[in-house]
Amino acid sequence: MNLYEFCYGIIHWLVDLVNNLWYWLGDLLPWWFGDFFTAVGDFARSDGHLSVMTILLEGVVILVVGLVNVLNFIWIDRKLSGRIFDFYGPYYVGYRIGGWLQNLADGIKLFTKEIITPAKADRVGFLVAPIVFVGSSVLVLAAIPFSHNFGIATNDSGAGIPAGVLFAFAMFAIAPFAILVAGWSSNNKYTLIGGMRSAAQMMSYEIPMLLIVASVLLLAGGFSFGEVVDAQHDIWFAIPLFLGFIVFLVCIVAEVEVQPFDLPEAEAELVEGWTTEYCGMRFGLFMMTSYLRGYAGGALTTALFLGGWQGPRLIPDEFWFLIKAYIVFFVVEWMRWSLPRIRVDQILGLGWKRLMPLAILNLLIAAAMKTMGWF
Amino acid sequence: MAEAKQKNTYTGFVVKPMLRTMRTFVKSLILGRPNTVLYPYQKLDLPQVYRGLHTLDFKKCIGCGNCVIICPNDCMWLEKIDDPELGKIERPGVDIGRCLFCGFCAEVCPTAALHMTTEFELANHERNKLRFSPKDIRDDKFADTFKEERSRRSLPYLNMEKCTSCEKCGEECPEMCIAIVPVEGTGRKRPEINFAKCTSCGKCAVVCPEKALEMTDVYEAYFEMPEPKLVLENCTGCQACSKACPAEAVYMLEMPGTEKVLKDGKKTKPKKRAVFILEKCVGCGRCFRACKFKAIDMPGVKK
Repeated sequence: MNLYEFCYGIIHWLVDLVNNLWYWLGDLLPWWFGDFFTAVGDFARSDGHLSVMTILLEGVVILVVGLVNVLNFIWIDRKLSGRIFDFYGPYYVGYRIGGWLQNLADGIKLFTKEIITPAKADRVGFLVAPIVFVGSSVLVLAAIPFSHNFGIATNDSGAGIPAGVLFAFAMFAIAPFAILVAGWSSNNKYTLIGGMRSAAQMMSYEIPMLLIVASVLLLAGGFSFGEVVDAQHDIWFAIPLFLGFIVFLVCIVAEVEVQPFDLPEAEAELVEGWTTEYCGMRFGLFMMTSYLRGYAGGALTTALFLGGWQGPRLIPDEFWFLIKAYIVFFVVEWMRWSLPRIRVDQILGLGWKRLMPLAILNLLIAAAMKTMGWF
Repeated sequence: MAEAKQKNTYTGFVVKPMLRTMRTFVKSLILGRPNTVLYPYQKLDLPQVYRGLHTLDFKKCIGCGNCVIICPNDCMWLEKIDDPELGKIERPGVDIGRCLFCGFCAEVCPTAALHMTTEFELANHERNKLRFSPKDIRDDKFADTFKEERSRRSLPYLNMEKCTSCEKCGEECPEMCIAIVPVEGTGRKRPEINFAKCTSCGKCAVVCPEKALEMTDVYEAYFEMPEPKLVLENCTGCQACSKACPAEAVYMLEMPGTEKVLKDGKKTKPKKRAVFILEKCVGCGRCFRACKFKAIDMPGVKK
């Protein structure tokens, strides 16, 4: 049973339950009301309505799983940074589970804060930027399945979006636009510099990253996550495309904007970068979403290079996928708390002079391997 | 000229810092605990020399008020207390709100009765509660557990009332540091001990027939305290200074030959004068303040 069938069953059961009451109510009423009731009930039982509701329920399930992972990721980030810098991380809020509840406490604190819009800000842009940022980042998760059976699907077969990899990277790349809008509309020099840096940074990492994705897709021979992961049944792509794996990891760190490449935020130089003027839960959403992007980055790396949900049958496939994503996130965080932030010109130099040739070389290697018939 | 070789390698910028953080990570998560302390629940063992809240040994304190005088922020005061054990005494209190924790009060204390503990959680919501009266800071056991940093030595202290001017101590002293000085007007002599030379051998105390010399433990003073000087012409023998002195360094001696013959032929008691045993003096200036006849000169002390 896959996620679609599971959700379809739940929705079907719920609709039947409500419909029984509904028809009974319609029988009590005069005939012209009864006809209306029957029409609405028949619509609710139609296949189109049921599948739409099923997809919505799937989205909720995937979103909840993603948000729980985000809570874990924030906790891991804080705990890890603490231990790397030789201090205890969060400790007291839920100390029996290692201070895990600290995130919830911070969330409640952010909820109770006042939300201020600067007087001279562009109100529409200021309001739209968080929506675009959070929405596009959540949409990345929609395309990533945890296994063949656990992902957003539109029919009984359980197959995900046909071009899921492309969709995920397309959604992933929208964020710099939202950052630029947020930086511009805040009407503050720090936010503006942050937004411009984000745009400049995107120029440098996006192209090498997509070239490497192209090489992976070339080896896999398909655009969906299912095909990419199935192609790694014999060997993970991280081994033949080791060069590409390293470059991809660097690019994904730049994509999720953590420490060596967090130029748009850069709290030492620009106060809080592009989030300077945001406060309350708007800032909380930004912070949460940045970790959501970290999770999405880990999941993409896992699916493309580390064999996805492939693993010994000791534990379910979904957990293999999550474990690998957590390990990738661990490495990203390890880099984050070890390396210094680089300058704007350095990231451009790195992206165009180092990563770009390496990515093209990686594409050539992939093409050569495909030509030899090894994959 | 030695120039630092700049290494623009990926090993130097990427691999080395990552290895170092991983070492710290393993050390603080797997092999041991992090370096920091969970403050409100765990506390560091502070060194004894930490300067926190004051504590006062009521039995050792003589109420001289040197701490009040030396306090740069003027945050200490002397408070009159009726103690069931010690009677009417004066002891210093401290206002933590104004204290700068310099520790001068503890250093200047001649009997090492005032100390600073390692207690540092002193914040309060009300200013009044920052004022600690002597009873609040009383701890008669703390001074014994405290290892005093000032060097301590035992020196002979003179009890002038017992002294018979026999001069035996001066003869016995191997260091020749006891000078026999005549006390003007009284016809008596007293030993004046040069503490710089004294080796604390204790022979003078042993040889003294009246046991007027007593070996007493004294703490080395960090500060040079003012000394009182008697102006003999003005002294009326009123004993105000003797009563005021907290260190019992002022003795009232009779001056023979000053008796007045009254009309009925009886003789009055002889006039008295003050004698300062400067070795005992703690330099508090109380005698100077108590004297109403300008008979005591104490440069450097305000009235």
